[in-house]
Amino acid sequence: MELNWTTFALEIINFLALLWILKRFLYRPVLQTLAERRAGIERTLAEARASEAQAAAMQQQFAGRLADWEQEKAKARQDFAAELASERTRQMAALATELASERERSAAQDAHRQATQRRELAAQASTEARQFASKLLARLAGPELEERLVQLFSEELAALPEEHLGAVRAGQNGDGRGMVSSAFALSAGQRQQLSDAIETRLGKTLVLDFVVDPSLLAGARLTLGAWQLDFSLAGELGVFSEAANRG
Amino acid sequence: MEAAGVVFTLGWLQITTTVVTTWGLLLVFGIGSWLATRHLSVDQPGLVQTALEGAVQSIAAAIDGVLPGRSELLLPFIGTLWLFVAVANLTGLVPELHSPTADLSTTAALAFVVFLSVHWYGIRSAGLKDYLQHYLTPSPILLPFHLLGELSRTLALAMRLFGNIMSLEMAALLVLLVAGLLVPVPVLMLHIVEALVQAYIFGMLALIYIAGGMQSHEASASPEAPQTNDKKGSAP
Repeated sequence: MELNWTTFALEIINFLALLWILKRFLYRPVLQTLAERRAGIERTLAEARASEAQAAAMQQQFAGRLADWEQEKAKARQDFAAELASERTRQMAALATELASERERSAAQDAHRQATQRRELAAQASTEARQFASKLLARLAGPELEERLVQLFSEELAALPEEHLGAVRAGQNGDGRGMVSSAFALSAGQRQQLSDAIETRLGKTLVLDFVVDPSLLAGARLTLGAWQLDFSLAGELGVFSEAANRG
Repeated sequence: MEAAGVVFTLGWLQITTTVVTTWGLLLVFGIGSWLATRHLSVDQPGLVQTALEGAVQSIAAAIDGVLPGRSELLLPFIGTLWLFVAVANLTGLVPELHSPTADLSTTAALAFVVFLSVHWYGIRSAGLKDYLQHYLTPSPILLPFHLLGELSRTLALAMRLFGNIMSLEMAALLVLLVAGLLVPVPVLMLHIVEALVQAYIFGMLALIYIAGGMQSHEASASPEAPQTNDKKGSAP
């Protein structure tokens, strides 16, 4: 245990040298690295805080915008509901109008259909009546009825109004020849009777051809060119059927 | 324990084994520090860098515990004390080597450096006048006691470290001489613990002395303020 002053002094120098060495090669680099890392962490933290603040601001902004959107949505919904109600009212009115129109059209169609049906029924009834009358009159037709109808033909000719005979008298119908059709063959007396009645009424002599036409059923028909005077059962049935069709 | 022998002489300078060992430690510290801090990474520290940063931060935290906010100023000095004393204490475990701290010249040199550093940091912190003023407070009569305290604690600092390390080496040597090969192992383990504890105590006492010097003007300025950490400087 003795103190060597040389060692004492050199150890002081050695320690100071070590102090410089460690400060230069150990503490300074390590502390610098730590400071850089701390600065980096602080920088990252600052950026994180800035990002957080920005996120909070954006969140607030988005919350405000969301609230605005909610208000706009509610207003749009109200407008839409009002518009929907208005459109519904308008559509209902249009539908009611259309329904009324359709109803009127349907009523008109019903009326037309009913009229048509009535006409068809009337025509059918007329046809059936004419067929019935034809069958009945065909069964009733005979020389007696023929005689009677020829008699009536003469009377009708005598009672025919003058205006109907004007054209015939003027020579516009017929060229002096006529044709008398009858369902049954006429006797000579009947032929003479008809010839006399025609000549008396028309005031001129005609050459008459007498032909038998069973389709007349009974009675006679005088044809002078385009002019015709029918007094037969078939002709009356035709008039009857035409009148029924006219309704 | 025999005194450190002279290895060679440089003129009138006698270079002892203690100095040579210390130079070796300087070489190891220098090369080790240079190698360890060549490629420090800010983002991806390796294992060695992490250990270095942990050690440096632990030293800074210990200094901050005694003198808050002054770790950057005192870290090189206190850290160097801790590292050098710890490694020097453990050097004795290496065969054929002796701990430099088992030499009173080394511990006295370290204690002298601490003694100077106390005044250096105290004057730097408070200014020369204010620093010297505290020797006269609370009464100029106490000046001799202050001076005596300064000397005695420096002497105690040197003797404590020297005595502990020398006795540890001597005990290990004696046990190795009288016992088998494996018996000294527990003693050597105790040596490791004791070496680290003594290094910690030495550095912590130096830190407390420096803190006392730096805070002495504050204590003299406010008499009712708590006493400086100098009171903690009692030897364990």
